[in-house]
Amino acid sequence: MIVDLREYESEEPVSGAVCVVGTGPAGITLALELARQGVDVVLMESGGRTYEAETQALYDGEVVGDPNTDVSSSRLRQFGGTSGHWTGLCAPLDPIDFEKRPGVPDSGWPITRADLDPYYARAQPYLQLGPFDYDFTAWQAKLDRAPLPLDPAMVRDAVYQQSPPTRFEETYWETIEATDRIACFLHANLVDIELADDAVAHFEFSTLDGRRIRVSATHYVLACGGIENARILLNCNRQRVAGIGNEHDLVGRYYMDHLNCETSTILFAEDDIDLGLYDQVIETGVASLSVGLKLPAEVMREEGLLNNTAFLVPEYDDATFNDDFRDRGWVSFSTMVKSFSRGRVPDRFAENYCNAVEDIDVIGVGVYRHVMRHFVPAGRTVAARLRQDAEPSPRADSRVYLTDDTDPLGWRRIALDWQIAPSDLDSLRRTHEHIGAAVGAAGLGRLKLGIPDPPDLDVVFTGYHHIGTTRMHDSPRSGVVDANCKVHSVKNLYMAGSSVFTTAGTANPTLTIVALAARLADHLGSSGASQTKS
Amino acid sequence: MGNITRRIVLGLAGIAGVGALAFGGSLAACRLVPRNSPGFFAYLSEIARDQAARRIGRAMVGSGHVSGDLEAIAARITQRPLIREAFATGCPRTRRRLVQDQCAADFRDGRMVSVEGWVLSETEAELCAAAWIADGRTA
Repeated sequence: MIVDLREYESEEPVSGAVCVVGTGPAGITLALELARQGVDVVLMESGGRTYEAETQALYDGEVVGDPNTDVSSSRLRQFGGTSGHWTGLCAPLDPIDFEKRPGVPDSGWPITRADLDPYYARAQPYLQLGPFDYDFTAWQAKLDRAPLPLDPAMVRDAVYQQSPPTRFEETYWETIEATDRIACFLHANLVDIELADDAVAHFEFSTLDGRRIRVSATHYVLACGGIENARILLNCNRQRVAGIGNEHDLVGRYYMDHLNCETSTILFAEDDIDLGLYDQVIETGVASLSVGLKLPAEVMREEGLLNNTAFLVPEYDDATFNDDFRDRGWVSFSTMVKSFSRGRVPDRFAENYCNAVEDIDVIGVGVYRHVMRHFVPAGRTVAARLRQDAEPSPRADSRVYLTDDTDPLGWRRIALDWQIAPSDLDSLRRTHEHIGAAVGAAGLGRLKLGIPDPPDLDVVFTGYHHIGTTRMHDSPRSGVVDANCKVHSVKNLYMAGSSVFTTAGTANPTLTIVALAARLADHLGSSGASQTKS
Repeated sequence: MGNITRRIVLGLAGIAGVGALAFGGSLAACRLVPRNSPGFFAYLSEIARDQAARRIGRAMVGSGHVSGDLEAIAARITQRPLIREAFATGCPRTRRRLVQDQCAADFRDGRMVSVEGWVLSETEAELCAAAWIADGRTA
C-alpha cells in the first residue's frame, strides 16, 4: 500500500512492527525483506514518486571543507532515493576493508566480510546483478578478451558487476504497492523522535503544509543516507541535548567520500595492446562486468596502503575514440536522451537542459564521435589513464554538523566539512607506483604519476558516496551503532545505509548498503519484530 | 639537359661504391681503434637520445638520485647480472633484450625510481643519467 500523507484522511497514529524512514536502496530492501518474514512495516518517504523541487530543497546545506563536493543535488529526496541517478557499478567490500589495519587509524569493523557474504548473495538480485561472484579467475573462462600479462603477485584483476542501474522507483514501486505488510507514506517528513526509557516511543512526521502523523513501532530504522541520517540524530536534541546517539560526539564525524580522480597514465610500448577487457562493460550472459586493477591485499597490508581499484580509460591516437567530451553537459544531455527514449520527462529537466545548452560544443563533439565510431576503425591505443574511487582514511575532523540556518520544517540545515588527508593521496600515489612497476615488469610500457609530491587535493572530486557519519563499532566511545546497526544508547533505534560503514573501502557502496539492509532485516526478524506493536 | 651517358653512370656507380667501401671500411676499422671511454657506454645506445630521455637524465642527476660521476654510475649499473651479460654480447638485439629484461627485473624487485612523475627502473633511469652526462649535459 502506498499512501500520500497529504491526502490521508485519518489523524490516528499508525503502528507497525518496524518503522523504516527512507525509501532508497536500504529502506526498500529492508522493508521487502521484513515483509517476506511476515513483519508489518511502516515505510515513510519525505518525497513523492518523482522529483519535486520543494522537497529536494530540504537537502540544501553548506559545503565548508573540500569544495569539490555537493550536498544538494548529489542525493535525491524522493521514492527510490538516490538510486534515481546512480551509475550502477557494484562490488562487495574486500575482506581487508573490515580488518583493523595498523596503517589506517580508526579502521576495523566489528564484523567481517564472511559475516556479510550470505547477505551480499541476497543483495545481488535486488540490484539486478548476476551471481555473487567477484573472483576474476572464476569469470575468466567466460571472457573472450585476455587480461594484461601482469604478475598477480604485483597487481591483480578486480571484477565489478554493472547494475542496469536499478532505479528503485521503477523496479519496486508496484511491489511495494502490492505488499500488504508494507504501509508506505509519501510526503512524510520526520520531524521528531520521542524517547522514553532509552527507547524510541514514537516518530512524528509532517508534510510540508503541516499535516502530521505519529508512527509507533517496536523497532525504528533510519535509512536516509550518509548525510541525512546524521542530520536527523543531531536535530532530535529535545531530550538529549547533543542529539540522539551523540553522547560521545561521534554523530556526523568520520564522514568519508571516495576520492574520485582520473590521474596517472600508462604509456604503452607496443602498438597492439589489447585493452578490450578493461575499457568497456563486458556482457557474459549472466552478468555485466567491469574489470580494473588492484594491489593484492598482502601488499596493502605490508605497506599500510588504502584500498583502490584503478579502471583503465584508454587514449587513442585517433581522437574519435577518446571520451574526453564526457563532462557535465554531456552527462545532462545523455540523461535527457535516456529519459525521453523511455517516454519520460527527465528529472531536473531545466537544470539538465541548461547544462547541455551551455556545453553545446562539447555535445557536438560527442555526438560526432559516437556516429563516426561506426564508420572508422578503432585507432591505436597509445595510453590509458587510471580512473578510480580511491579509499579515504577515516578522520574524526571530517564531518557533517548543523548550522543555524533552518529548513521550512524548522530543522537546522547541515554544513559538510569534508576533509581529505594528504596522506591518502600519498597512498594512492604509492599504489600507482606499484601498478607502474607491474606494467614495467611485464614490458608493457611505463607509468607517469599524476599525483604530485606533495599532493594537490584539487585532483580529487566527490564520488557522491556519503559514508561513515554513524559508524559501526563495538564500543560506544568509538562508534554510534553496534555490530547490529543499533544505536548504542537507544534500545530500539537502528541505522541503515552507508552511514554505518566504519571504513569506506574502494568498492561503490550500494551493494554493501543493500547487504547490510538484508542483514538488519534478519536481525529485526529474529528480535521479535514480527509481533506488531499494538 | 644532356643525355645520360655510359660514362656518367659508371662514374656515379664508382663514387657510390667508393663511398660504401669507405663507410664500411671505416666501421670495420673503428672497431680496432681503442676508445678513451669504458665499454659500458655501448649501452647508452639502448637509450633514446630524445628530449624526454635527456630530461630524465638531467633530473636524475639534479635530484641527487645518482651522482654526476660517469664512472660511478657505470660501476653501479654493471653490477647488475643482466647488464653484465649484455656487456659480453656483441649482438645489438640480444643486448637490447637483456637491458630490457634487467629493467623488468628491477620493477619486479621494487628497484624503481620516480623521476618527473615517471615510474622507471633504476637501470633505465641511470642509463638516461649516464647518457645525459656523456652528451655533455646538454638540454
